Order: sequence, then C-alpha cells, then structure tokens
Amino acid sequence: MKTKTVRNLRRLSQALFLLLFLFLFIQTESKGADELGYPVKFFLDFDPLISISALLSAHAIETGFYLSIIVIVMTALLGRVFCGWICPFGTLHNMVGYFNKRIAHGSQETWYAFKYYMLFFILASSLFTAQLAGIMDPISLLIRSLSLSIYPALNYLTRASFDTIYRLDIPVITHGSEFLYGILKKGFLSFTQPFFLQGVFIGALFLFILGLNLYERRFWCKYLCPLGALLGILSRFSVLNRSVSEGCTSCGVCQEVCPGNAITDSDGSWRSTECLYCMDCDDLCPQKAIRFGFIKKNRGVPLDLTRRNILVSITAGIAALPLLRIIPQSGKRYLNPALIRPPGALKEKEFLKRCVRCGECMKVCITNGLQPTLFDAGLEGIWTPKLVPTIGYCEFRCTLCGQVCPTGAIEKLSLLEKETVKIGTAVIDTGRCLPYAFNIPCIVCEEVCPTPKKSIWFEKITVKHRDGTEAVVKRPRVDIELCVGCGICETYCPVKGKPAIYVISANETRSEDNQILLKP
Amino acid sequence: MNRRDFLKTTFIAGLGISIHGSFDSFVRSLYASDDADIAVARGQSPGRITKAAIDALGGMGKFITKGDRVVVKPNIGWDRKPEQAANTNPEVVAAIVSLCYEAGAGTVKVFDRPVSDPRRCYKQSGIADAASAAGAEVSFIDERKFKKVAIDGLVLKDWPLYTEILEADKIINVPIAKTHGLAMLTLGMKNWMGVMGGWRSRIHQSLDESLVDVSRVIKPTLIVLDAVRILTANGPQGGSLDDVRELNMVIAGTDQVAVDAYGATLFGLRGSDLGYVRIGHQSGLGTMDLSKLVIRNVVL
Repeated sequence: MKTKTVRNLRRLSQALFLLLFLFLFIQTESKGADELGYPVKFFLDFDPLISISALLSAHAIETGFYLSIIVIVMTALLGRVFCGWICPFGTLHNMVGYFNKRIAHGSQETWYAFKYYMLFFILASSLFTAQLAGIMDPISLLIRSLSLSIYPALNYLTRASFDTIYRLDIPVITHGSEFLYGILKKGFLSFTQPFFLQGVFIGALFLFILGLNLYERRFWCKYLCPLGALLGILSRFSVLNRSVSEGCTSCGVCQEVCPGNAITDSDGSWRSTECLYCMDCDDLCPQKAIRFGFIKKNRGVPLDLTRRNILVSITAGIAALPLLRIIPQSGKRYLNPALIRPPGALKEKEFLKRCVRCGECMKVCITNGLQPTLFDAGLEGIWTPKLVPTIGYCEFRCTLCGQVCPTGAIEKLSLLEKETVKIGTAVIDTGRCLPYAFNIPCIVCEEVCPTPKKSIWFEKITVKHRDGTEAVVKRPRVDIELCVGCGICETYCPVKGKPAIYVISANETRSEDNQILLKP
Repeated sequence: MNRRDFLKTTFIAGLGISIHGSFDSFVRSLYASDDADIAVARGQSPGRITKAAIDALGGMGKFITKGDRVVVKPNIGWDRKPEQAANTNPEVVAAIVSLCYEAGAGTVKVFDRPVSDPRRCYKQSGIADAASAAGAEVSFIDERKFKKVAIDGLVLKDWPLYTEILEADKIINVPIAKTHGLAMLTLGMKNWMGVMGGWRSRIHQSLDESLVDVSRVIKPTLIVLDAVRILTANGPQGGSLDDVRELNMVIAGTDQVAVDAYGATLFGLRGSDLGYVRIGHQSGLGTMDLSKLVIRNVVL
C-alpha cells in the first residue's frame, strides 16, 4: 500500500513537470505585446549542465546559475531524483518505454560509463571555450527537437486535417471542426505554421533517441545523457540511500525492473550514481526487503570508470577544439555574409561560448526567420540561430529572442536599443531590381523599411523604354548608415526566390571586423 | 418567360427601384442637415468627432439597418503605436463599432491584413483592444478565406479578396491619412490592400489603376478618414513623432474618390495630384471636384 503511493506520487510528479514544461513551451510565443508573460526558459535555468558548462566556457554566471544550484544541492542530498521525478525528457522515455514489454534490465553492464566519458569530453572542451553541452543536454535537446521539428509537424498535421474538412465543406461537421479548430488555435497551435531548415534531420534524431526505448527502456538516460552523468557524480555522497535487509533471497526481481541499471546483481547490489530513484524495486520486492531512507547504504557499488578512459575523453574534448576551429571563419579575413545573427547576439566567439542550441529563439521568432545553421558557423556552431530573410525578417520592434535566451548569448535588448542594433546591411542587386533592370515601378522595399527615417530612399531617373518613350522611375537606394539589416525588404521583394535586395552580415553592430565604413 | 413578360418585369422592377430611390431622396430631404456629401469634424476627442462627422451626414442609422453584418476596415498595417500615426486611431474605430451597434447592426467585424506581424500590429495599434471592448469581432486574417474574384478592371483581371468583406451587408472603410512612397498618399482607396490576398506587393507596378480596380469591387457604405494624427513623411510606416501632425480631424463621406480628394488637401495637395483619385474620377467611380460638393464642417 505504502509503496504504491510512492509510485503514484512519482508519476504524478512526472506528469505535472511534463505538463508544466509543455505549457511553458507553448507559451513561448508572441501574443503581440513587447514582453512574454511567462518565464519560458525556466527548465534550462535549473539545468546544472548548462550553467556549469557556461561557467567554464564563457566564465559567465547567468541568472539561471543560482536556480541550477537548487538542483545541484537537491542531487547532492537526494541523488538523481531529478531524472526519475522531474526531467520531462525522462518522462517521455518512460512513456515510450511502456511499449517495450521486455525486462527493463539492460544487458550492457559497462555501457553506463559512456555517458560519463561524454560528460568529461563536454566539460573539457567547455573549459577550453567550446560550448558543446547543449547538443547533448537533455533539456536543450528536448526544447530544440520540439521547437524545430515535432511541434511544427504536429501543427502541420492538425492544420492539414482541419483544412481538408474546411475545403470539403460538409454540413454540420465542418461547422463543428471549425469550432474545434478555433479552440486549438487559441490554446495549442502556433500562430502560423512554422517551417525550419533541418527540421526533418533534428526530428529524426529525436525520434531515434526515443525509439531506443524499444530496444532498451531509458536507453538515453542509462548510457547517453551527460546531465544524468553530471547528476550521478553529484549524487555520490547523497544521504537518501537504499538498503537491502537480510530478508533478500536474491530473486533478482529488483535487478530486472531497475530502469537505470543501478542494481548490478541479483543480490540487490546498488550503484547509487545510476539510480533514478523511481523506487520501483521497493515496490516490487516480494520480500519487502528494500528500503529507501536517510540511512546508511549497504551493498553499494562504486562508479567504475577507468582512469585511462577519463584521460582519453578529456584529451579528446581538448583535441576537438583545434579540429573544429580550422575553418576560415576563425580567421579575421573571412566573414560569412549569410551568417546573420539575431539582434543582441554577442560577438561571434562569445556567442558560440554561450549558445546552447536550445532553439527557443527560433521557436519564439515572430516571423519564423530565425533558422538553425548547419555549417554556416562551422561545425562548432551547428544549430545556432541565423536569420534567413527569404523565410522571415527581423521585426523592428520585437525583442523576444533576447528575452528567451537562457545563457545571454543573445542579450535582452530594450526597445530603444533594438532600434539601433544592426544585424547586417541590405544591398541591391541592380540586375534584378525592377526599376533598375526593367524600368518597372516598384517601391516595396522602401514602403516596408521600418526605420523611422527610411533607410531606403529614391533616386528619380529619366529612362528610355525600348520603344523610345521616356519615363521617370524611382530607383531605390540603401542608406548604409541607417540600414539595420532587418531583412524585411528581402522578405517582401517581389522578385521571388532570389530577391533583388538582400541582407549581408556586413556592418553588424556586434563585430569590430565585419564593418564597411570608416565611421560605423 | 417570353420577351414581353421579360420586358414587363424589367419595367416594373426598374420602376420599383426608381420609386424607391426617389422616395429615399424625398425622405432625406426632410432632414436639412444630411444633405452634406462630406462631413469634417474637428475636436479633441477622436471618438466624439467621429460621431459628429457621421451625424452630420445623417447619423449611422442612415447607413446601417437592423441586423446588418457590418465590416469595419481600419488600417492595422504596421507594428506602431497610435501616436506614431501609422494605423487608424483606435478610438475612431471603437466609436464606429459602437455607432454600428447602436444603429442595430447584428455583427460588426474588424480585421486587416497587416504587413508587419499581425499579432504585434493588432496589439500595438491599440485597435484590437479598443474594438473588442466596443463589442466588435476582431479576428486575424484566415488565409483560407481569400477567394479569387473577377475584376475585369483597368489592369487587374482578377484577384483573391477576403470573403468576409465580400459577404458583408455593409462595409465601412476607416483609413488613416499618411504619405506613401509611390501613391504619394495612402487614404481610403489604398486601404483596400488590406483585404487583398496573394502577392499583393506586385500591384505597385501599376498601383493607381489597381487601386481603382479594387475600389470598384468593394463598395463601402461609408468612409471615415482618420486625420486625428497624420503622417507627413516616412509613410506609410513612420516611426518618428517628428513626422506626425495632429489635425484632430475626422472626415466622413460616401464617395470614395471625394473623400480621398478631400484627404489630399490635408497635405496641401489637390485630389488631382493623386493618380488613383484622378483615374477614379475619370472612370466614374466618384468625383474629385470638391467645389461641386456640399462639405459640412463641425467643430466640437
């Protein structure tokens, strides 16, 4: 009776945290006001892997750092309860694992060590200024995968279904479906259908990781999760322990059900660093021989890592750096014109030290213009945000990306600051621009230009048409001192596909090198 | 139906229409105050001058009948605050919504297809909040609800237009007066771009003719031009308060060309300076000859 209560409590806790996570996730969207109403980066703020790696790489203490201390202290005292009771990704693994009817216990006795080596690799590279934690951090991975792939796909599915019923226009049914659609639009769906470069790739990776649960339950948590490894190390001296009484008959039930491979032998030997504190063993022990409490542990098994492998992983973490950085971007001469960073982004080097690729900025971007990079910023910068104006521009008075960034890679700008920050410069391709190339009137770029004094002005030119008649056309010119590079001109240019006006990263405020003018 | 029957029916129907028309003008002549073609109201309260201008034309009851499905179409094109004068004044919009309901309107819908992000435009302009508070159904454009409409105009053969405006019983156009890089000014007729779907930016290649074409298809019962604040430079989006002038005026009328022609005078221009006003006049959409119109001025 008592034990069942524990299991139900755990499930309740997992459900509540997952729902809270999903609620905050869906709230990470503009409602039209300047500020977002909810602390949407909440879960990342509590994530010690993010805060420690950011501390190492950027020597920066973010506001979230103090919140992550709560998890650190909690883990030091209580063990990996975060993994078993809170982590929304862990809960998803539980849910998928439910469909795996094989015994939970993994056959791979030694694989668990891999995640620790992964952690050492990540932290070593962090210490030497590369921020790679976000790629494998479970919270970051979850937000990124949901933002860039799963949620857009669910939106697509929902919209396509309702659109079909709408087009078929079936009496009564369409009316009802439109009513339901209206409710979903308010509470669940995004404002417009989001599209992301690499959405398929990021989504497939996510589904693959979830799918590993069908091979072995909580595969990720046991063998891959670097946050789990960090918490495992932190939990070494926890005071919430498990003990096995003399009544144990070594039946092996606890070993079979343990989702963390923490029970290493049928006699109930326990590797506390692997325990997720689900307490299912306590629940299922036929002899009621297992007890969790603030007691001395017995039959404990230490974390078994080899010094050689630790050294190898740390060395690999350091060695990865030069390998990642022998790209032209590391030099001063080559600057990628397509790498348009969001407004408020730090200098590229500082930016890469902090960005954890959680994808929240891309999720919240009001025009869908922020997209994940692949190699634009080198492999080191994979899945960091860049603006792609042909998809969406940077809304002049929007500061949401800086508001949601959990590590300050994108600074939170005030509205006044935002209006002066340049993320690039628009340039005109006169070979395609309608008034230049074809003598056809068009003023779209000037009309949409959002700077209070327009950054696009007109030069009136008398032109001769093919038939000899003369006409006056207004040719747009970019005021290079005023242009902030928001890209709205590129988004709305009637020359589709390859617009006649486009933004390059030159003149971005954050960079000292990427400047054109003597006096920027 | 043979030819004789057809002619007979047509004749009777025509007679009916003309009698109805003359009866209407007879009733209208009973009210000496509502013979104005354009009403111009000045005063400090945008809501009150809006009502005053409409009253000077005979009151909202003259335009709205009980149960009407009304569309009030403001300009919500940009992510700007009311004081920046890039969108219609929210108090003007709210006043019109209230007047419609007072006149017995069944539903009043308010929408626009903005250029900047719709959420920010609706919110920052103050229009969504003000119009909702007045009881209007404020909704974002649903891209599925554009329908290709035959126009057969000067340049546009057809164009996708918003069905909710096509299906409305009464349409009230509520533009704001601003400068524009190509049209010189954006007033009432240009405001119809907000119900055009598709890649509407293409119409800039023949803007004046296109605007007249669309204005022929969408027939407003009433036009209320917001000149509480006008944008005199860097329009239509503005942003700097230096470019905003407070006129504290609202202009109301029923002739699209005439209202725009009057709007031009606010900027020291004549209606004939604006291509779409000139073409609208020439093609019989309305008149730009203000000297032939009765213009009633009201000062509060």
